[in-house]
Amino acid sequence: MTEAVVQQEQAEPAQAAVRRAAAEDPPRAPLPEASGPSRRRRDGLLAFGFLSPTLLVFSVFILFPILFSLYLSFSQWNMFGGESTFVGLDNYARMFGDAEFWSVLAHTGVYTLGTVPVNMALALGAAFYLNTRVIGKRFLRAAFFTPVVISAVAAAVVWRWVFDPNLGLANYALEAIGFGAVNWSNSPAAAMVALIIVGVWKSFGINMVLFAAGLAGIPKHYYEAASIDGANGWQQFWHITVPLLAPTTLFVLVISIIGSFQVFDIVFVLTSGGPLGATKVLVFYLYEHAFKYFDMGYASAVAYVLFAILFALTLVQVRAFRGRGVRGI
Amino acid sequence: MNGVSVQFAGKTLGRVLGHVVVYAAALLTLAPFLWMILTSFKEVGEIFSYPPTWWPEVFTLDNYARAFQAAPFGKFYLNSLFVATTVTLGQLVTCSMAAYAFARMEFWGRDVLFFLFLATMMVPAHVTMIPSFMILHSLGMIDTYGALIIPGLASAFGTFLLRQFFLSIPKELEEAAFLDGCGRFRVLWRIIVPLSRPALATLAIFTFMGVFNDFLWALVVINSQELYTVQLGLAIFRDRYSTEWGSLMAGSVVATLPILIVFFLAQKQFIQGIALSGLKE
Amino acid sequence: MTKPVLRALASALLAVLLLAALPGCGSGSASNDGRTTVVFWHSLVNSTIPALDELLARFEEEHPDIRIQAQYIPSGDALVQKLITSVRSNTAPDISWIHADYLEELVRADAIFPMEHFIGGEDGLADSVIADIYPSLLQYSSWRGQLYSLPMEATNLGLLYNKDLFREAGLDPEQPPRTWDELLSYSERLTIDRNGDGRNEQIGFITPIYPASSPNGPWMVWQWIPFLWQGGGYLVNEEQTRVLFAEEPGVRALTLWKELYDRQNQGTFSNEFMTAFISKQTAMMLDGPWSIPNYPRLLGNMDWGIAPLPAGPERRATISGGEYLAIFKQSQNPDAAWTFVKWMMDPEIQAFWSMKSGYLPVRASVLDVPEYQDYLDENPALRAFVEQMADAGTQRPLDYEQLAIQRAIARAIERATVGGEDPRAVLEAAAAESNRLLDAADRGEDAPEPLAER
Repeated sequence: MTEAVVQQEQAEPAQAAVRRAAAEDPPRAPLPEASGPSRRRRDGLLAFGFLSPTLLVFSVFILFPILFSLYLSFSQWNMFGGESTFVGLDNYARMFGDAEFWSVLAHTGVYTLGTVPVNMALALGAAFYLNTRVIGKRFLRAAFFTPVVISAVAAAVVWRWVFDPNLGLANYALEAIGFGAVNWSNSPAAAMVALIIVGVWKSFGINMVLFAAGLAGIPKHYYEAASIDGANGWQQFWHITVPLLAPTTLFVLVISIIGSFQVFDIVFVLTSGGPLGATKVLVFYLYEHAFKYFDMGYASAVAYVLFAILFALTLVQVRAFRGRGVRGI
Repeated sequence: MNGVSVQFAGKTLGRVLGHVVVYAAALLTLAPFLWMILTSFKEVGEIFSYPPTWWPEVFTLDNYARAFQAAPFGKFYLNSLFVATTVTLGQLVTCSMAAYAFARMEFWGRDVLFFLFLATMMVPAHVTMIPSFMILHSLGMIDTYGALIIPGLASAFGTFLLRQFFLSIPKELEEAAFLDGCGRFRVLWRIIVPLSRPALATLAIFTFMGVFNDFLWALVVINSQELYTVQLGLAIFRDRYSTEWGSLMAGSVVATLPILIVFFLAQKQFIQGIALSGLKE
Repeated sequence: MTKPVLRALASALLAVLLLAALPGCGSGSASNDGRTTVVFWHSLVNSTIPALDELLARFEEEHPDIRIQAQYIPSGDALVQKLITSVRSNTAPDISWIHADYLEELVRADAIFPMEHFIGGEDGLADSVIADIYPSLLQYSSWRGQLYSLPMEATNLGLLYNKDLFREAGLDPEQPPRTWDELLSYSERLTIDRNGDGRNEQIGFITPIYPASSPNGPWMVWQWIPFLWQGGGYLVNEEQTRVLFAEEPGVRALTLWKELYDRQNQGTFSNEFMTAFISKQTAMMLDGPWSIPNYPRLLGNMDWGIAPLPAGPERRATISGGEYLAIFKQSQNPDAAWTFVKWMMDPEIQAFWSMKSGYLPVRASVLDVPEYQDYLDENPALRAFVEQMADAGTQRPLDYEQLAIQRAIARAIERATVGGEDPRAVLEAAAAESNRLLDAADRGEDAPEPLAER
C-alpha cells in the first residue's frame, strides 16, 4: 500500500530522470532478460565492485580488530609491549565469578530499563504532537535535537554542575518549589536517577526525529476514512498509528537498547561510576580493566559478553515484532 | 450555537495548553545548553556564585579570548571541519555503493554479510581501539589526517540506513532504465542518488556530528598539535587538579554551534529522508 | 547528478585521500637545520605553558645543537593511553612525564632506560647531586631500588585556608590548625548551617572524597597517605610483602577523615571542592603549590594563606609528588635527551623553573640560590610549601600492584565516609585484598636492596 503511495509521489520526477539518463548515454543493445545463474554471477562481480571500498575499510579497520579482540579475550596481554599468553577461558571464568561484574550488569540493566521506555515515550509524544498544528515546529524540533548534537563530554560537564548538591541548579530549583534538596552525587539511588535523566535528555531527540519520519509516512487518508467511520482519537491511535508505526518502533527500540547498554561518556564525566560504584556500567567496567588494570584480555572478554547479550536481545526483539505480522529488520 | 462555541473554546484552550507544555519542555531541554552559552560570557568570579545566576552581571568575551589564546583553536576548528567533511563525503560514496549492492543485487552470502555488518555495531569501541591503532601504525599512518579519515570511510550504520531507504524505491524505475540501456553504476548515480537526497542528508548529519564530536580516537592517533581537533583542544582546559570553566564553556559553545546551524537548515531534508527510508516496511 | 560534477567529486575525493596519506607536519624526530630534535611529552596545564616556553628557550640558547619539541598530552588517563600505544608502535617520545603508578609496567616492558645508564656514564651526575635530591622524590623515581626516572619538579600537600572566614568565626587567622585535634575543632567552629535546614551552607574543612572508580580516586588516596604517616604508619613493609595500612595508624587516620566527614555533614555538600573554596563556602582544604599562580585570578581579594599539614599523633608529614622524566629506549637521541634531563637538575635551573612555574624545586641546595630566597620572601605561600619538603621524609611507595592496591584503599576510604562503614572493617577488607595481590605478584629474580631509609 505504502509503496504504491510512495511510487505515486515519486513517479513523475523519477521517470523524467530515467529519460534524462538514457538520453545522455549512447544507445546500447538492450540487456538480455535475467536468467538465474548468469545473473547471479554477473551480480557477484559487480556487487564486489560496489562493495569493495566499504569491504576494504571494513575488514581492515572494523572486522580485523573485532576478531583480534576475540582472540585477546582468550589471552593475557601486557599493554606496553611483550607477548600475549593464551589462557583459554580463564578470563571468562574470572568474569562470571566476579561479584562486581554481576552488579555492574545489574546497573546497566537498571539504566536501560530507566531510559529506554521514558525516552521512547517522550520521543513518540513529541513526534506525534509536532505532527499536528503547532506554531514554530522548526524551532521546537531543533530545540529537542540540541542535546544530541552537544558532545557527550560537554553535556555531562554542564549536568554535573546542575546536579551539584550545593552549587547546582537542580537543588536550587527543587528548593524554590519547596521540594527540598536531593543528594544527587552521594546517594546511590539519586545518582542513578541523575544519570538516567541525562541519558534520556541526551538521546530522545534522535528517536523523536525517527518517530516523526515514521509518522509522516502514514497516509493521512487512513485517518480521514476512520473519522468518517466514526472512530475517535484514541481508537485511531491504537488501530492505525501503532501498527503502521511498528517497524519504526522496532528500529528505535533496537538502537536505543544497544546505545544504552554501551553508555560510557556521560557516566565517566557525570558520576565516574560512583558513589560507591553504584553507577558503574558495563563499558565503564571494561574501560577500567583495560586502562587502569592494564588487563586488555579481560576487557576484551567483557566486550564479547556484552556483544552476546546485545545479539540475543536484538534477536528477541526482531522475533517479537515478527510475530505481529510486521517485517522487521 | 452555544454548544458549538463551548466546543470551540475547549479546542482552543487545548491547543493553547498544548503549546505551553511543549514550549516549556523545549525550554527545559535547551536549558543546559543555554546555561553553557551564558556561562561562557561570565567572569570567573561569577561562574561560581551561589545562588547561580542566569544572565551575566558582567558580560565579557574574556573566556573566548583565553580559549583562543591558549591554543590555536582556529587551526583545531579547521582540522575538525576538514576531517568531518571528508569522512562524511567519503561515507556517502562508499555507503551508497555498498547499500545498493545489498539492496538490489543478488550474490552469494549477501544476507550473511549484511548481518555481519549489523553485528559489528554491537561491539564497544574501546576494545577495538588498540588493534585498530596497531594496524594504522603498521601502515605508517599515525599522526596523519589519514588516521582520522580512512577508518571512518566504512560504516555499518550508514550502509544499514541507506539500504533500508533503497529498498523502498520501486524497482520499476530501475527496470525502465535497464531497458533503456543504462548500466548498474549509472542507475545508481542518475536515479537512485537523486531520489535519495533526504536519506543522504540524514546520513551526512549523523556522520558529521559523530566525527566532529569524537575525542578518544583522535587522542590515540594524533600526536602533533597541528593536527589536533577541537575536542582534543578542549581537553587542555580540564586537567586533574582544576577546571577552567569559563574557557571550557566558551570552547564547547564554539564546538557545538556549527552542527546546530547545519541541522536547523537541513531539517526538512532530514525528516523527509527517514520518512521515505522504508523503515516502516 | 551531471557528469562534470561527478568527475569533480571523484577527483576531489581522490586528491583528499592522497593528501591525507601524506604524513602530517612535525611528527617524528627528523632533524631540522642540523639540530637534534628531542621530543618531550608533558601535561603542563594551559596556564604554565608560557613558563615552559621560557624554560625551553633558555635551554636551546645554552645548547644550540639541540631542539626540544614539547607536546602537550592531557594528563592522567590520556597520557597512559598514549604511552601504551606509542611504545607498542615504536613511536615513543624521547622524554616523557611518567607516573609512579605505571613505572612497574614500563620497566617490565623494557621501555625506559635505568637512569644509572646515564648517571654513571661520561656525561654523568656526581653522587653529591643525587644525594641532594629530596629522598622522597627519588623513591617515587625508583622501582625495586633502581632509579628509572628523575624528578623535574616537585609538589607536596599543604593546607589552604581562608583567613577572612577564620576572622568571622573568631579564630586567629595567623594560627592555622597544627594538630589533628585542632583540625577537628576548627572545622566544627567553621561549619555553619545558616537556615537550620540540616544542610551546612559552609563547612570548615573539605575532606577530599571522590568516587573510588573516578580518575580522582588515586588523587584521594594520595592525599590520605600523609595522614597515615602522621599516625606513624606505612603503606607496606620493607620487603614489600605485606601491606601495613590497616594497622592502628591507618585506622586512626581513616577515623579522622570519617569524623571530619560526618561531623560536618559533608555528604550533603558540594563535590566541587575548589569551587566551594572560591565561593567562600569552605574555609580549609588540602592543596598543592600548582594552583598558586592561579589564585590571584581565582580568589580575587580573598585573604588566604598556606599552612603546613597539621601534625599527627606521631609526627609531622606531608606527601611529595611531582613530575618525573623518563628516557625511552626507543629514542634515537638518548644522549641529547639526557642532556636536557641533566640540565634540569642544575640548582640554578631548578630555581628558575620554580620561580616561573610555581612548582617546587627538587633539590635542597636550591635554597642557597640568592634570587630564590628573595623570591620566597615575596611569596610566603610558596615558602610554606618549600619548607615542608623537609617533612616529606621517606615514603616507601609500593613496588608491586600499585594501581590495584590504590584502588582498594580508595574503595575503603569511600566506604568509610560516603558509605558510613567502620574504618577498621573496610581497611581490613582492603588489606586482605592487597595482600592477596602481593602474594600473586610476579617478583622476578634478584630483587635489589631497597633504598636506605633516612
